[in-house]
Amino acid sequence: MTIAAISHWIQSTAWATALRESELMYPLIMSAHMASLGIFGGLIAMTDLRLLGLTMLSTPAQEVIARLRVWKRFGFVIMIGCGILLASSKLDSYYPNPYFQIKMLLLGLVGVHAVMFHRSVYGKNAPATGLPAKAAGALSLLLWTGILSMGRWIAYYETPK
Amino acid sequence: MFLAYDPATNPLNTNEWAFPLCECFHLAALAFSIGTISMVDLRLLGAGVTERSAAQLMRDTEVWTLLGLTVVIGSGLAIFSSDPIHYLRNGAFQFKMAGLLVAMIYNYTIHRGIARGNRSAAVTVTAACVSLALWASLVFAGVFIGFI
Repeated sequence: MTIAAISHWIQSTAWATALRESELMYPLIMSAHMASLGIFGGLIAMTDLRLLGLTMLSTPAQEVIARLRVWKRFGFVIMIGCGILLASSKLDSYYPNPYFQIKMLLLGLVGVHAVMFHRSVYGKNAPATGLPAKAAGALSLLLWTGILSMGRWIAYYETPK
Repeated sequence: MFLAYDPATNPLNTNEWAFPLCECFHLAALAFSIGTISMVDLRLLGAGVTERSAAQLMRDTEVWTLLGLTVVIGSGLAIFSSDPIHYLRNGAFQFKMAGLLVAMIYNYTIHRGIARGNRSAAVTVTAACVSLALWASLVFAGVFIGFI
């Protein structure tokens, strides 16, 4: 089975078809995807700024990470859930879209980033100080800005005829 | 504005990179502005960074909120300039502008006052919910501009 065939099969499921053809559900789910970007993406941004030493200096970065962990996970699930719904409903045109592919690659790198800095920054009882903290914050900001930009650019790709 | 303005000459309509780039700035700044405000809201709900008071968190975040709002409105104006008449006639856009005005005033008056003062949980929870609902409704309206 080729990727094209798998994509087409997913897009052709009853729920993906219904979503694609719905005038209301599609923009509603996209709005939820964007609102979670606003609310929870902002929590990621503030954590990154704390890691870079740019805000909340009198509270240890470790505390900020610990307190926001559950909220960021919650937001991530909503954001990814809506994203999966949106992409599945138009997967025929999404999977060959280079911006979509770059976005997926960057999301994978976010996972690598989380594992790489788990012991030094993000894990429970991790120190979250010094160079690893700054590097983790800067990389996270870069990765998420890239993901957001590629997400927007998906809409501007025209499949070659 | 009865000057001869032809949107076709706007760089946003002549350069294929300019418009999506403006949208990316708009979205990134949206995350900064709404995200920093929602950090205060989380605290008002009694969650989030509880080591700091809501007043402290507001001071920590206000410069980033302001920076985010400036970029979000700046990039929004640029996007608007690409086709003003189309946007002015769009119901979702009209709702968004009215909502933006309400959200901004609310944020810098009532919300600010409650984050600073020692209010009961009922007041802070209500203030946070109103704030989250206001800002989220702007995002929904923004997306719907493109669908109606």
